[in-house]
Amino acid sequence: MRRGLAVFVALALLLPLALLLMLSLARQWMWPALLPEQWQLRVWRDLLSDTAGIGSAVGRSVLMAVGVGIAATSLGFPTSRQVARHRRRGRLLALIHLPYALSPVVLGVSLLYMFLKWHLAGHMAGVMLAQLVFAYAYAVILLSGFWNAHTDALVDLARTLGAERRQVWWRVLVPMAMPMLSVCLFQTFLISWFDYPLTLLIGSGQVQTLTIRLFEYFSSGDIRLAASCAVLLMLPPLLALLVNHRLLSHSAAPHPDTLDD
Amino acid sequence: MGYMLLYSVGGTGLLSTGWTLRYWHEALQDSETWISLGYSFAIGLVSLVLALALALALQTGLGPQVRRGPLRSLLFVPLAIPALVAALLSVELFGNAGLLARLAYAAGWIARPNDFPDLLFTAAGSGIVLTYVLLVAPFLLLLLDRLARHERVDDLTWVARTLGASRWQAWRRVTLPVLLRASMPTLSVYFIVLVGAFEVPLLVGASYPQMISVLVQRKFSQFDLTSKPQAYVVACLYGVLAMSLLMALFSWCSRRENEGVNH
Repeated sequence: MRRGLAVFVALALLLPLALLLMLSLARQWMWPALLPEQWQLRVWRDLLSDTAGIGSAVGRSVLMAVGVGIAATSLGFPTSRQVARHRRRGRLLALIHLPYALSPVVLGVSLLYMFLKWHLAGHMAGVMLAQLVFAYAYAVILLSGFWNAHTDALVDLARTLGAERRQVWWRVLVPMAMPMLSVCLFQTFLISWFDYPLTLLIGSGQVQTLTIRLFEYFSSGDIRLAASCAVLLMLPPLLALLVNHRLLSHSAAPHPDTLDD
Repeated sequence: MGYMLLYSVGGTGLLSTGWTLRYWHEALQDSETWISLGYSFAIGLVSLVLALALALALQTGLGPQVRRGPLRSLLFVPLAIPALVAALLSVELFGNAGLLARLAYAAGWIARPNDFPDLLFTAAGSGIVLTYVLLVAPFLLLLLDRLARHERVDDLTWVARTLGASRWQAWRRVTLPVLLRASMPTLSVYFIVLVGAFEVPLLVGASYPQMISVLVQRKFSQFDLTSKPQAYVVACLYGVLAMSLLMALFSWCSRRENEGVNH
Protein backbone atom coordinates (compact mmCIF):
# COMPACT_ATOMS: atom_id res chain seq x y z
CA MET A 1 0.00 0.00 0.00
CA ARG A 2 2.87 2.34 0.85
CA ARG A 3 4.39 1.67 -2.55
CA GLY A 4 1.11 2.46 -4.24
CA LEU A 5 0.82 5.76 -2.40
CA ALA A 6 4.45 6.58 -3.23
CA VAL A 7 3.82 5.98 -6.94
CA PHE A 8 0.66 8.14 -6.80
CA VAL A 9 2.47 11.03 -5.07
CA ALA A 10 5.37 10.77 -7.53
CA LEU A 11 2.99 10.95 -10.50
CA ALA A 12 1.12 13.89 -8.93
CA LEU A 13 4.44 15.73 -8.58
CA LEU A 14 5.32 15.08 -12.22
CA LEU A 15 1.89 16.14 -13.48
CA PRO A 16 2.51 19.93 -13.42
CA LEU A 17 5.68 19.55 -15.46
CA ALA A 18 3.97 17.29 -17.99
CA LEU A 19 0.99 19.65 -18.22
CA LEU A 20 3.18 22.70 -18.89
CA LEU A 21 5.14 20.89 -21.58
CA MET A 22 1.94 19.63 -23.24
CA LEU A 23 0.42 23.13 -23.16
CA SER A 24 3.48 24.59 -24.84
CA LEU A 25 3.51 21.85 -27.48
CA ALA A 26 -0.24 21.62 -28.19
CA ARG A 27 -1.58 22.94 -31.45
CA GLN A 28 -5.15 22.05 -30.72
CA TRP A 29 -6.46 20.96 -27.36
CA MET A 30 -10.21 21.41 -27.27
CA TRP A 31 -12.62 20.37 -24.52
CA PRO A 32 -13.04 17.52 -23.61
CA ALA A 33 -9.86 15.91 -24.98
CA LEU A 34 -7.58 14.59 -22.25
CA LEU A 35 -4.51 14.98 -24.41
CA PRO A 36 -3.73 17.51 -27.13
CA GLU A 37 -5.23 16.45 -30.48
CA GLN A 38 -2.47 18.00 -32.54
CA TRP A 39 1.07 18.83 -31.62
CA GLN A 40 3.48 21.44 -32.86
CA LEU A 41 6.93 22.76 -32.17
CA ARG A 42 6.08 26.26 -33.43
CA VAL A 43 6.07 28.02 -30.07
CA TRP A 44 9.49 26.65 -29.20
CA ARG A 45 10.84 27.40 -32.68
CA ASP A 46 9.54 30.94 -32.33
CA LEU A 47 11.13 31.20 -28.93
CA LEU A 48 14.50 29.97 -30.15
CA SER A 49 14.47 32.21 -33.23
CA ASP A 50 13.13 34.97 -30.95
CA THR A 51 10.25 36.13 -33.14
CA ALA A 52 8.23 36.78 -29.98
CA GLY A 53 11.03 38.91 -28.52
CA ILE A 54 11.30 36.79 -25.39
CA GLY A 55 15.07 36.55 -25.74
CA SER A 56 15.63 40.06 -24.42
CA ALA A 57 13.28 39.40 -21.48
CA VAL A 58 15.19 36.22 -20.62
CA GLY A 59 18.52 38.04 -20.91
CA ARG A 60 17.30 40.87 -18.68
CA SER A 61 15.96 38.40 -16.10
CA VAL A 62 19.24 36.47 -16.03
CA LEU A 63 21.30 39.63 -15.70
CA MET A 64 19.15 40.97 -12.86
CA ALA A 65 19.02 37.65 -11.01
CA VAL A 66 22.79 37.10 -11.26
CA GLY A 67 23.45 40.66 -10.06
CA VAL A 68 21.01 40.40 -7.15
CA GLY A 69 22.37 36.96 -6.18
CA ILE A 70 26.00 38.08 -6.13
CA ALA A 71 25.25 41.34 -4.30
CA ALA A 72 23.01 39.71 -1.68
CA THR A 73 25.42 36.86 -0.95
CA SER A 74 28.56 38.98 -0.75
CA LEU A 75 26.85 41.60 1.44
CA GLY A 76 24.95 39.04 3.49
CA PHE A 77 27.95 36.94 4.50
CA PRO A 78 29.79 39.61 6.54
CA THR A 79 26.49 40.99 7.89
CA SER A 80 25.41 37.53 9.04
CA ARG A 81 28.57 37.33 11.16
CA GLN A 82 27.80 40.64 12.85
CA VAL A 83 24.25 39.49 13.49
CA ALA A 84 25.28 36.04 14.76
CA ARG A 85 27.76 37.56 17.23
CA HIS A 86 25.34 40.24 18.42
CA ARG A 87 24.11 40.14 21.99
CA ARG A 88 20.47 40.37 20.88
CA ARG A 89 20.80 37.95 18.03
CA GLY A 90 17.26 36.58 18.21
CA ARG A 91 15.61 39.99 18.17
CA LEU A 92 17.80 41.17 15.27
CA LEU A 93 16.98 38.08 13.23
CA ALA A 94 13.27 38.62 13.86
CA LEU A 95 13.62 42.23 12.67
CA ILE A 96 15.37 41.11 9.49
CA HIS A 97 12.16 39.25 8.60
CA LEU A 98 10.49 42.66 8.20
CA PRO A 99 10.43 42.66 4.36
CA TYR A 100 8.78 39.25 4.42
CA ALA A 101 6.23 40.39 7.00
CA LEU A 102 5.43 43.43 4.86
CA SER A 103 5.05 41.32 1.70
CA PRO A 104 6.51 42.38 -1.68
CA VAL A 105 3.47 44.45 -2.69
CA VAL A 106 3.34 46.56 0.47
CA LEU A 107 7.11 47.05 0.40
CA GLY A 108 7.03 47.85 -3.32
CA VAL A 109 4.30 50.45 -2.85
CA SER A 110 6.21 52.09 0.00
CA LEU A 111 9.51 52.13 -1.90
CA LEU A 112 8.00 53.42 -5.13
CA TYR A 113 7.72 57.09 -4.18
CA MET A 114 11.31 57.27 -2.97
CA PHE A 115 12.46 55.48 -6.11
CA LEU A 116 10.46 57.91 -8.27
CA LYS A 117 12.31 60.80 -6.63
CA TRP A 118 15.69 59.14 -7.16
CA HIS A 119 14.78 58.29 -10.78
CA LEU A 120 15.10 54.59 -10.03
CA ALA A 121 11.51 53.64 -10.83
CA GLY A 122 11.07 52.13 -14.26
CA HIS A 123 14.73 51.16 -14.39
CA MET A 124 16.41 47.80 -14.04
CA ALA A 125 18.64 49.13 -11.23
CA GLY A 126 15.60 50.20 -9.21
CA VAL A 127 13.88 46.84 -9.52
CA MET A 128 17.14 45.09 -8.59
CA LEU A 129 17.53 47.32 -5.53
CA ALA A 130 14.00 46.45 -4.38
CA GLN A 131 14.65 42.74 -4.96
CA LEU A 132 17.92 43.10 -3.09
CA VAL A 133 15.99 44.14 0.05
CA PHE A 134 14.43 40.67 0.10
CA ALA A 135 17.50 38.80 -1.13
CA TYR A 136 19.78 40.52 1.39
CA ALA A 137 17.42 39.73 4.29
CA TYR A 138 17.22 36.15 3.06
CA ALA A 139 21.02 35.85 2.81
CA VAL A 140 21.59 37.20 6.32
CA ILE A 141 19.00 34.83 7.82
CA LEU A 142 20.35 31.80 5.95
CA LEU A 143 24.04 32.51 6.52
CA SER A 144 23.67 33.38 10.21
CA GLY A 145 23.35 29.60 10.66
CA PHE A 146 26.98 29.22 9.55
CA TRP A 147 28.55 30.89 12.59
CA ASN A 148 29.14 28.90 15.74
CA ALA A 149 31.76 28.21 18.39
CA HIS A 150 33.66 26.05 15.93
CA THR A 151 34.04 28.83 13.35
CA ASP A 152 35.05 31.26 16.12
CA ALA A 153 37.74 28.83 17.31
CA LEU A 154 39.08 28.45 13.76
CA VAL A 155 39.24 32.22 13.29
CA ASP A 156 41.15 32.52 16.59
CA LEU A 157 43.49 29.74 15.52
CA ALA A 158 44.20 31.35 12.15
CA ARG A 159 44.81 34.72 13.82
CA THR A 160 47.18 33.14 16.36
CA LEU A 161 49.10 31.58 13.50
CA GLY A 162 49.59 35.04 12.06
CA ALA A 163 46.85 35.33 9.46
CA GLU A 164 45.64 38.81 8.63
CA ARG A 165 41.99 39.76 8.68
CA ARG A 166 41.71 39.47 4.90
CA GLN A 167 43.44 36.12 4.89
CA VAL A 168 41.07 34.83 7.57
CA TRP A 169 38.11 35.68 5.35
CA TRP A 170 39.48 34.46 2.05
CA ARG A 171 41.57 31.48 3.17
CA VAL A 172 39.47 30.17 6.05
CA LEU A 173 35.89 31.41 6.21
CA VAL A 174 34.91 31.61 2.53
CA PRO A 175 36.21 28.10 1.66
CA MET A 176 34.54 26.69 4.76
CA ALA A 177 31.23 28.35 3.98
CA MET A 178 31.38 27.48 0.26
CA PRO A 179 28.54 24.90 0.27
CA MET A 180 26.27 27.30 2.16
CA LEU A 181 27.34 30.27 0.03
CA SER A 182 26.43 28.42 -3.16
CA VAL A 183 23.00 27.58 -1.76
CA CYS A 184 22.61 31.24 -0.79
CA LEU A 185 23.75 32.46 -4.20
CA PHE A 186 21.30 30.19 -5.97
CA GLN A 187 18.35 31.01 -3.71
CA THR A 188 18.91 34.77 -3.94
CA PHE A 189 19.20 34.33 -7.71
CA LEU A 190 15.77 32.66 -7.58
CA ILE A 191 14.25 35.48 -5.48
CA SER A 192 14.95 37.87 -8.34
CA TRP A 193 14.30 35.31 -11.11
CA PHE A 194 10.84 34.42 -9.72
CA ASP A 195 9.85 37.96 -8.72
CA TYR A 196 6.71 39.46 -10.21
CA PRO A 197 5.19 42.04 -7.79
CA LEU A 198 8.33 44.18 -7.32
CA THR A 199 9.09 44.22 -11.05
CA LEU A 200 5.46 45.17 -11.71
CA LEU A 201 5.40 48.04 -9.18
CA ILE A 202 8.93 49.45 -9.33
CA GLY A 203 9.44 48.58 -12.99
CA SER A 204 6.15 50.34 -13.87
CA GLY A 205 5.90 48.36 -17.11
CA GLN A 206 9.30 49.59 -18.32
CA VAL A 207 11.28 46.57 -17.13
CA GLN A 208 10.19 43.58 -19.18
CA THR A 209 11.29 40.40 -17.47
CA LEU A 210 10.27 36.80 -18.07
CA THR A 211 7.65 36.88 -15.27
CA ILE A 212 6.11 40.09 -16.63
CA ARG A 213 5.92 38.49 -20.07
CA LEU A 214 4.37 35.32 -18.61
CA PHE A 215 1.66 37.36 -16.90
CA GLU A 216 0.93 39.34 -20.05
CA TYR A 217 0.60 36.22 -22.20
CA PHE A 218 -1.51 34.52 -19.57
CA SER A 219 -3.93 37.40 -19.08
CA SER A 220 -4.25 37.96 -22.83
CA GLY A 221 -5.24 34.29 -23.18
CA ASP A 222 -2.14 33.12 -25.03
CA ILE A 223 -1.71 30.00 -22.93
CA ARG A 224 0.90 28.40 -25.24
CA LEU A 225 3.40 31.24 -24.90
CA ALA A 226 2.58 31.57 -21.18
CA ALA A 227 3.28 27.86 -20.68
CA SER A 228 6.59 28.06 -22.55
CA CYS A 229 7.61 31.07 -20.43
CA ALA A 230 6.70 29.00 -17.37
CA VAL A 231 8.93 26.14 -18.59
CA LEU A 232 11.80 28.60 -19.14
CA LEU A 233 11.22 30.05 -15.67
CA MET A 234 11.43 26.62 -14.06
CA LEU A 235 14.49 25.53 -16.02
CA PRO A 236 17.23 26.87 -13.67
CA PRO A 237 15.74 25.39 -10.47
CA LEU A 238 14.99 22.07 -12.19
CA LEU A 239 18.55 21.87 -13.53
CA ALA A 240 19.80 22.67 -10.03
CA LEU A 241 17.64 19.85 -8.71
CA LEU A 242 19.28 17.43 -11.14
CA VAL A 243 22.78 18.59 -10.28
CA ASN A 244 22.38 18.80 -6.52
CA HIS A 245 19.08 19.06 -4.71
CA ARG A 246 20.88 20.66 -1.78
CA LEU A 247 20.72 23.89 -3.80
CA LEU A 248 16.94 23.88 -3.42
CA SER A 249 16.95 22.74 0.18
CA HIS A 250 16.05 26.22 1.35
CA SER A 251 12.98 27.54 -0.40
CA ALA A 252 12.03 31.09 -1.28
CA ALA A 253 10.75 32.03 2.18
CA PRO A 254 13.56 32.29 4.69
CA HIS A 255 13.47 29.61 7.33
CA PRO A 256 16.05 28.36 9.75
CA ASP A 257 15.66 24.69 8.85
CA THR A 258 17.35 22.99 5.97
CA LEU A 259 15.50 20.18 4.24
CA ASP A 260 18.69 18.20 3.85
CA ASP A 261 21.16 16.72 6.30
CA MET B 1 7.05 52.88 6.33
CA GLY B 2 7.60 56.45 7.45
CA TYR B 3 6.76 57.75 4.03
CA MET B 4 3.62 55.63 3.84
CA LEU B 5 2.49 57.10 7.13
CA LEU B 6 3.24 60.61 5.88
CA TYR B 7 1.38 60.11 2.62
CA SER B 8 -1.60 58.59 4.36
CA VAL B 9 -2.09 61.67 6.57
CA GLY B 10 -1.70 64.04 3.64
CA GLY B 11 1.72 65.30 4.69
CA THR B 12 3.02 64.64 1.21
CA GLY B 13 1.80 63.39 -2.14
CA LEU B 14 0.41 64.65 -5.40
CA LEU B 15 -2.97 65.84 -4.20
CA SER B 16 -1.87 66.78 -0.72
CA THR B 17 -3.89 69.69 0.70
CA GLY B 18 -2.31 69.66 4.11
CA TRP B 19 -2.47 67.44 7.11
CA THR B 20 -5.58 65.37 7.41
CA LEU B 21 -6.83 62.20 9.02
CA ARG B 22 -9.52 61.95 6.36
CA TYR B 23 -7.91 59.02 4.56
CA TRP B 24 -7.41 57.09 7.76
CA HIS B 25 -11.00 57.81 8.70
CA GLU B 26 -12.26 56.72 5.28
CA ALA B 27 -10.14 53.58 5.06
CA LEU B 28 -10.90 52.54 8.62
CA GLN B 29 -14.61 53.09 8.04
CA ASP B 30 -14.47 51.15 4.81
CA SER B 31 -15.57 47.62 5.59
CA GLU B 32 -13.49 46.38 2.65
CA THR B 33 -10.28 47.13 4.56
CA TRP B 34 -11.27 45.01 7.54
CA ILE B 35 -12.82 42.24 5.45
CA SER B 36 -9.65 42.04 3.36
CA LEU B 37 -7.43 41.89 6.45
CA GLY B 38 -9.53 39.17 8.09
CA TYR B 39 -9.85 37.31 4.80
CA SER B 40 -6.07 37.31 4.24
CA PHE B 41 -5.31 35.97 7.71
CA ALA B 42 -8.06 33.35 7.39
CA ILE B 43 -6.81 32.17 3.97
CA GLY B 44 -3.22 32.04 5.26
CA LEU B 45 -4.23 30.03 8.32
CA VAL B 46 -6.53 27.61 6.50
CA SER B 47 -3.95 27.01 3.74
CA LEU B 48 -1.17 26.35 6.21
CA VAL B 49 -3.23 24.09 8.50
CA LEU B 50 -4.52 22.03 5.56
CA ALA B 51 -1.04 21.79 4.02
CA LEU B 52 0.33 20.67 7.37
CA ALA B 53 -2.45 18.09 7.74
CA LEU B 54 -1.74 16.76 4.24
CA ALA B 55 2.00 16.62 4.94
CA LEU B 56 1.44 14.77 8.24
CA ALA B 57 -0.96 12.32 6.56
CA LEU B 58 1.55 11.68 3.76
CA GLN B 59 4.34 11.27 6.27
CA THR B 60 2.38 8.60 8.13
CA GLY B 61 1.17 6.98 4.92
CA LEU B 62 4.51 6.95 3.12
CA GLY B 63 6.75 6.07 6.05
CA PRO B 64 10.37 5.50 4.99
CA GLN B 65 9.37 5.80 1.29
CA VAL B 66 9.83 9.58 1.69
CA ARG B 67 13.58 9.10 1.97
CA ARG B 68 13.94 6.67 -0.92
CA GLY B 69 14.84 6.97 -4.54
CA PRO B 70 13.11 9.18 -7.05
CA LEU B 71 10.25 10.25 -4.76
CA ARG B 72 12.64 12.19 -2.53
CA SER B 73 13.99 14.18 -5.48
CA LEU B 74 10.49 14.67 -6.89
CA LEU B 75 9.32 16.19 -3.60
CA PHE B 76 11.70 19.07 -4.35
CA VAL B 77 9.95 19.85 -7.64
CA PRO B 78 7.29 22.18 -6.14
CA LEU B 79 10.12 24.34 -4.78
CA ALA B 80 11.01 25.02 -8.42
CA ILE B 81 7.50 26.34 -9.16
CA PRO B 82 7.12 30.13 -8.78
CA ALA B 83 3.76 31.44 -7.53
CA LEU B 84 2.89 32.83 -10.97
CA VAL B 85 3.31 29.40 -12.59
CA ALA B 86 1.41 27.76 -9.71
CA ALA B 87 -1.55 30.04 -10.49
CA LEU B 88 -1.36 29.19 -14.20
CA LEU B 89 -1.27 25.48 -13.39
CA SER B 90 -4.20 25.88 -11.05
CA VAL B 91 -6.33 27.35 -13.83
CA GLU B 92 -5.32 24.58 -16.24
CA LEU B 93 -5.93 21.85 -13.64
CA PHE B 94 -8.95 22.98 -11.63
CA GLY B 95 -10.69 25.41 -13.99
CA ASN B 96 -14.01 24.59 -15.64
CA ALA B 97 -12.25 23.42 -18.78
CA GLY B 98 -9.20 22.16 -16.91
CA LEU B 99 -7.72 18.71 -16.76
CA LEU B 100 -9.79 17.65 -13.75
CA ALA B 101 -13.03 18.69 -15.48
CA ARG B 102 -11.96 16.73 -18.57
CA LEU B 103 -11.31 13.67 -16.41
CA ALA B 104 -14.75 14.10 -14.84
CA TYR B 105 -16.24 14.23 -18.35
CA ALA B 106 -14.33 11.11 -19.40
CA ALA B 107 -15.65 9.36 -16.30
CA GLY B 108 -19.17 10.40 -17.30
CA TRP B 109 -19.81 12.57 -14.23
CA ILE B 110 -20.41 15.83 -16.10
CA ALA B 111 -21.66 16.69 -19.57
CA ARG B 112 -20.52 20.30 -19.95
CA PRO B 113 -17.63 22.39 -18.56
CA ASN B 114 -20.16 24.40 -16.56
CA ASP B 115 -21.29 21.28 -14.69
CA PHE B 116 -17.89 21.10 -13.04
CA PRO B 117 -18.01 22.68 -9.55
CA ASP B 118 -16.45 26.14 -9.37
CA LEU B 119 -13.17 25.78 -7.51
CA LEU B 120 -11.50 28.98 -8.71
CA PHE B 121 -12.52 32.63 -8.36
CA THR B 122 -14.83 31.81 -5.43
CA ALA B 123 -15.44 34.24 -2.58
CA ALA B 124 -14.54 31.43 -0.17
CA GLY B 125 -11.05 31.42 -1.69
CA SER B 126 -11.07 27.70 -2.46
CA GLY B 127 -8.80 28.16 -5.48
CA ILE B 128 -6.19 30.08 -3.49
CA VAL B 129 -6.25 27.56 -0.64
CA LEU B 130 -6.10 24.59 -3.02
CA THR B 131 -3.13 26.04 -4.90
CA TYR B 132 -1.19 26.85 -1.74
CA VAL B 133 -1.95 23.54 -0.05
CA LEU B 134 -0.59 21.60 -3.03
CA LEU B 135 2.40 23.91 -3.39
CA VAL B 136 3.40 23.96 0.28
CA ALA B 137 2.57 20.38 1.42
CA PRO B 138 5.57 18.67 -0.30
CA PHE B 139 7.92 21.20 1.24
CA LEU B 140 6.37 20.62 4.68
CA LEU B 141 6.66 16.86 4.17
CA LEU B 142 10.41 17.19 3.53
CA LEU B 143 10.73 19.47 6.54
CA LEU B 144 8.79 17.12 8.84
CA ASP B 145 10.83 14.15 7.64
CA ARG B 146 14.08 15.89 8.43
CA LEU B 147 12.86 17.12 11.81
CA ALA B 148 11.58 13.63 12.66
CA ARG B 149 15.07 12.24 12.13
CA HIS B 150 16.74 15.15 13.89
CA GLU B 151 14.46 14.84 16.94
CA ARG B 152 14.69 11.02 16.83
CA VAL B 153 10.92 10.64 16.70
CA ASP B 154 11.20 6.94 15.81
CA ASP B 155 13.11 6.20 19.03
CA LEU B 156 10.69 8.27 21.09
CA THR B 157 7.72 6.49 19.52
CA TRP B 158 9.35 3.15 20.25
CA VAL B 159 9.79 4.11 23.92
CA ALA B 160 6.16 5.23 24.14
CA ARG B 161 5.01 1.99 22.52
CA THR B 162 7.03 -0.20 24.91
CA LEU B 163 5.51 1.78 27.77
CA GLY B 164 2.10 0.66 26.56
CA ALA B 165 0.91 3.51 24.33
CA SER B 166 -1.25 2.55 21.36
CA ARG B 167 -0.13 3.51 17.87
CA TRP B 168 -2.55 6.46 17.84
CA GLN B 169 -1.58 7.59 21.36
CA ALA B 170 2.11 7.51 20.45
CA TRP B 171 1.44 9.65 17.38
CA ARG B 172 -0.86 12.10 19.14
CA ARG B 173 1.11 12.46 22.36
CA VAL B 174 4.68 12.11 21.09
CA THR B 175 5.17 12.50 17.32
CA LEU B 176 2.78 15.42 16.73
CA PRO B 177 3.87 17.68 19.64
CA VAL B 178 7.56 17.10 18.96
CA LEU B 179 7.22 17.88 15.25
CA LEU B 180 4.97 20.92 15.80
CA ARG B 181 7.31 22.42 18.36
CA ALA B 182 10.35 21.88 16.13
CA SER B 183 8.70 23.29 13.00
CA MET B 184 6.99 26.29 14.61
CA PRO B 185 9.54 28.99 13.60
CA THR B 186 9.42 27.88 9.95
CA LEU B 187 5.64 27.57 10.00
CA SER B 188 5.21 31.10 11.38
CA VAL B 189 7.35 32.64 8.65
CA TYR B 190 5.41 30.65 6.06
CA PHE B 191 2.14 31.83 7.51
CA ILE B 192 3.14 35.49 7.17
CA VAL B 193 4.36 34.91 3.61
CA LEU B 194 1.04 33.25 2.67
CA VAL B 195 -1.01 36.11 4.20
CA GLY B 196 0.87 38.65 2.08
CA ALA B 197 0.72 36.53 -1.09
CA PHE B 198 -0.01 38.32 -4.34
CA GLU B 199 0.23 36.33 -7.58
CA VAL B 200 -2.04 33.40 -6.72
CA PRO B 201 -4.94 35.47 -5.27
CA LEU B 202 -4.56 37.89 -8.19
CA LEU B 203 -5.01 35.13 -10.77
CA VAL B 204 -7.33 32.59 -9.12
CA GLY B 205 -9.02 34.71 -6.43
CA ALA B 206 -12.45 36.35 -6.51
CA SER B 207 -12.88 40.06 -7.28
CA TYR B 208 -14.47 40.39 -3.84
CA PRO B 209 -13.23 39.89 -1.18
CA GLN B 210 -9.60 40.44 -2.14
CA MET B 211 -6.51 39.46 -0.22
CA ILE B 212 -4.53 42.34 1.24
CA SER B 213 -1.72 42.51 -1.35
CA VAL B 214 -4.22 42.50 -4.21
CA LEU B 215 -6.30 45.20 -2.49
CA VAL B 216 -3.27 47.45 -1.88
CA GLN B 217 -2.07 47.05 -5.46
CA ARG B 218 -5.56 47.78 -6.84
CA LYS B 219 -6.11 50.85 -4.68
CA PHE B 220 -2.62 52.04 -5.52
CA SER B 221 -2.90 51.74 -9.28
CA GLN B 222 -6.39 53.23 -9.62
CA PHE B 223 -6.68 56.41 -11.64
CA ASP B 224 -8.46 58.14 -8.79
CA LEU B 225 -5.52 59.71 -7.00
CA THR B 226 -7.39 59.96 -3.68
CA SER B 227 -7.34 56.18 -3.45
CA LYS B 228 -3.53 56.21 -3.26
CA PRO B 229 -3.40 57.52 0.34
CA GLN B 230 -5.96 54.86 1.20
CA ALA B 231 -3.66 52.21 -0.23
CA TYR B 232 -0.99 53.51 2.12
CA VAL B 233 -3.37 53.37 5.08
CA VAL B 234 -4.19 49.74 4.36
CA ALA B 235 -0.50 48.97 3.75
CA CYS B 236 0.49 50.65 7.06
CA LEU B 237 -2.19 48.81 8.95
CA TYR B 238 -1.18 45.50 7.48
CA GLY B 239 2.55 46.11 8.03
CA VAL B 240 2.04 46.87 11.72
CA LEU B 241 -0.24 43.86 12.19
CA ALA B 242 2.04 41.41 10.36
CA MET B 243 5.16 42.63 12.10
CA SER B 244 3.66 42.47 15.59
CA LEU B 245 2.33 39.01 14.83
CA LEU B 246 5.75 37.88 13.67
CA MET B 247 7.41 39.38 16.76
CA ALA B 248 4.88 37.67 19.02
CA LEU B 249 5.47 34.34 17.30
CA PHE B 250 9.24 34.69 17.54
CA SER B 251 9.22 35.62 21.22
CA TRP B 252 6.83 32.74 21.88
CA CYS B 253 9.14 30.37 20.03
CA SER B 254 12.25 31.55 21.86
CA ARG B 255 10.42 31.30 25.20
CA ARG B 256 9.47 27.73 24.37
CA GLU B 257 13.08 27.04 23.46
CA ASN B 258 14.36 28.45 26.75
CA GLU B 259 11.81 26.37 28.63
CA GLY B 260 13.08 23.33 26.75
CA VAL B 261 16.64 24.10 27.86
CA ASN B 262 15.65 24.57 31.50
CA HIS B 263 13.79 21.32 31.76
